[in-house]
Amino acid sequence: MHSSSVKSFFEFIRKAWPLLPATLYLTGFQIIVFVYLLGLSLSDPAAGVEFPSIQPFLNLFADSRFQSALLNTLLFTVVGTPLELLAGLLLAFMLYQSFTMRGVVRSIFLIPLAIPALVTAMLLYILFDFPGGHINHLLAGNYWSLPAIISEPINWRGSQFFSMGISLMGKIWRDMPISMLILLTGLNSIDPELFDAAKTMGASLFKRIFAIVIPLIIPSISAVVLLRSVEMWKEFIFPFVLAGRYNLLGTLIDFFYNELGNSNRAAAVAIVMVICIVVTTLVLLKVMELLQRVLLRRG
Amino acid sequence: MISATPKRIPMTSGKKVIWTTGIILAVLIVTVPVYLLVKYSISDIKSINTGGKPIPWWPFEPTMQAFLYLFRDHHFYQVLLNSVIVAFSTVVLSLILGVPAAYILGRYKIPGRKLLLLGIISVRLFPDIASVIPVVEFFIHIGAHQTYWGVILAHTLLALPYVIFIGIGAFESIPADLEQQAWVMGAGTGQTFFRILLPLATPGLAAAAIYTFLLSWDEFIFAYFLMLGNQEIFTLTLYLNGIKYAEPQNLLAAISVCLSVPVIIFSLMVQRYMIAGISTGSVK
Repeated sequence: MHSSSVKSFFEFIRKAWPLLPATLYLTGFQIIVFVYLLGLSLSDPAAGVEFPSIQPFLNLFADSRFQSALLNTLLFTVVGTPLELLAGLLLAFMLYQSFTMRGVVRSIFLIPLAIPALVTAMLLYILFDFPGGHINHLLAGNYWSLPAIISEPINWRGSQFFSMGISLMGKIWRDMPISMLILLTGLNSIDPELFDAAKTMGASLFKRIFAIVIPLIIPSISAVVLLRSVEMWKEFIFPFVLAGRYNLLGTLIDFFYNELGNSNRAAAVAIVMVICIVVTTLVLLKVMELLQRVLLRRG
Repeated sequence: MISATPKRIPMTSGKKVIWTTGIILAVLIVTVPVYLLVKYSISDIKSINTGGKPIPWWPFEPTMQAFLYLFRDHHFYQVLLNSVIVAFSTVVLSLILGVPAAYILGRYKIPGRKLLLLGIISVRLFPDIASVIPVVEFFIHIGAHQTYWGVILAHTLLALPYVIFIGIGAFESIPADLEQQAWVMGAGTGQTFFRILLPLATPGLAAAAIYTFLLSWDEFIFAYFLMLGNQEIFTLTLYLNGIKYAEPQNLLAAISVCLSVPVIIFSLMVQRYMIAGISTGSVK
């Protein structure tokens, strides 16, 4: 028994050895990531806390910088995920029609994907400059006969609300084609005869969208909501460039690690981020399942 | 997939107006930022520091100054070279590791295949910003911190799952008959792989290579954590980030354009290669 399993193992290796380098590479790094994350986050040499101890996490939770970053990221996710879904839905519904320029418009809608996130962030950095900058000039009514909305230029990056908002704007702009593509795949799988039937029976456009389209593309919507919420939790580059003074969890990791040189606390934040992602994913899976059941029953 | 025939939802003329306005607005939202980026990159300095006058939507005196400045700057060449070194090495390493794995996973039914694929995807599900701390700490340990190698190894980690997945698709699309005929004619496994399978999988693998190049070219998180403190090896993304407070906006925009152009061109190429890969697979 034993020798035969050893033999089959060697047989497997003899046949599948080209798999080994990649597998070892990926597994090796995964082990390194887990070992170092746990080792670093459960100890704090600077505070005399030895491995393993939960104390570093208690200290982290008491840190006001962490509290505000956690709250910011939560808001970022709660506000950003539905907006990403909405943007994707709008674009996908527009492309769902047949019209002459459809192919061209679809390619145009994909443009943001080809612009690196850092470049998008840098452009917003330039546009929302203070006190000059296009947006301040625009809102001050300096162009054509546009009305003046603000009397004083706004210091966008100096304000928590605006710097978070601009980061979110960039994030949504950059990623909306992904949501659009996923939703479009869902839309294209709907049988068009359903529309005709509903229309003959006198259902309004509103009713057709909410009673037929949305329930049928719930799988695509779930995929978008899940993927986007994870993206929101781990966002780094937009707040890094645009919201220097106000941290999300991602930029807090950078702050603890590169500014304070505290790898233990940075690792603890990373662990919290991963836990937030796992919890959000589990909750959203349940919610989406419920939603589909409710919508289908009503339809 | 997305080119499936769209269905027509009949619209009244009032709705048509709303819908057309929506499309125009969406097109503007997507294109205006790109236009503005290009506009800034060719702006003369008077169109940026306007002294209180509104910033023009088209530069007063369009100029290639910013680009000329960049391409006269030795440091910028070094940065470009660094980006190319890192991205190219990442491509080579990812292909060396990924193609054999993709070959096995694409051509053979091995036990635990599903589990293995799941494990490979799961690497990409873990947030970069969370795995970067352990990787940097480990690289400090083995002396790969602030070196080309560190960044190349990290980028390979990011790219490998994609290479394997695109590669599996490329190898799967080759008919099994072809391989068996080669064996019947007396070719060994190695010969079959190098003379028959590899050439046929090339379009797909080229797409994987381009994808990897782009991933490394505009990657920021690992590059930033691994290179911080060693300006000599800064890549384009890091260079751009590093000068954002100091340099005039037309220069920032010009560097941004340099960073984006390869991505835009190669993204188009990857699309074409993938279509080519799919169609050759169906013809033969």
